[in-house]
Amino acid sequence: MVSDLLRFAWGQAERAAALRWAVLPPLAGVAMFVLLVGAVIAAPREVVEGEVQRIFYIHVPSALAAYLGVGITVLASVALLWRRDMRWDAVARAGAMTGVLFTGLTLATGMIWGKPIWGVWWTWDARLTSTLILFLLYSAYLLARQLADETDEQAARFGAIFAIVAFVDIPIINMSVRWWRTLHPQPIVFDPFGEQALPGSMMLVLAVGIVAVGALALWLVVLRAEAEGLAQRAAAVRHLIDRREAR
Amino acid sequence: MDHLEFLFAGFAVFWAGILVYLLLLQARLRALTRELERLEERLAESAPRTPDAQGADESPAEEGA
Repeated sequence: MVSDLLRFAWGQAERAAALRWAVLPPLAGVAMFVLLVGAVIAAPREVVEGEVQRIFYIHVPSALAAYLGVGITVLASVALLWRRDMRWDAVARAGAMTGVLFTGLTLATGMIWGKPIWGVWWTWDARLTSTLILFLLYSAYLLARQLADETDEQAARFGAIFAIVAFVDIPIINMSVRWWRTLHPQPIVFDPFGEQALPGSMMLVLAVGIVAVGALALWLVVLRAEAEGLAQRAAAVRHLIDRREAR
Repeated sequence: MDHLEFLFAGFAVFWAGILVYLLLLQARLRALTRELERLEERLAESAPRTPDAQGADESPAEEGA
């Protein structure tokens, strides 16, 4: 049952990857343009923070894209452990790289937004610190996978276990603003416990941002997975040549 | 109060980060494609002249690629 599901998932992923140039870049490009116009011109000016609050429209989608990348890594890691198919390792690494990229962009845009509002570039606030830990965890995963041979299945399995365990940081990031007193604002967009605090016009621009950055992140995962797949193939051919030449 | 320079910096860092990553990724894809072509040529050169029991069924796919 699960094997069938994984086979189906791989088939769907391959079909989606075949459309990587036809669908994702135009969708991301158009949505990015709409996002830029919406964020800079159409969205209303926030009365307390002023114009700098518009960073919100790239900051929040970047954080969600980071979760998407890390989520893909975890799902691919589970599939790798289940099926022992190294193609899932390529997908896991691609997700982690995209996750690290967007976590870095979330931290960077947050710091630039925080400086004029909080008066500091960085503070050891629970939300910021747990996000930095996410960045470091998946950077460590990528470094460890980079140091091992691309075809080393044992290293891939250890990496998969590490990637799954490191995912524990995501709920901690989400709950950090509730569990501890933080400078970072409480959730105002996706708050299942509270009422909608964001005006409709701001919500619409944010939705465009989520689609735009999400499509971009997916495209980057597909491209990276292709690169990791090529690297695996190159390593396998290299081993074969070495074996033949050693005879 | 508006801090427009920070707004500009935030968007610039975001776009520059994406652009630099895309360029690096494209360069890596190109380099890997070239390397794979070169390796496959070398593999064909090192292939046994006559198919024998040892070499005939070897393929990169069996190596986990």
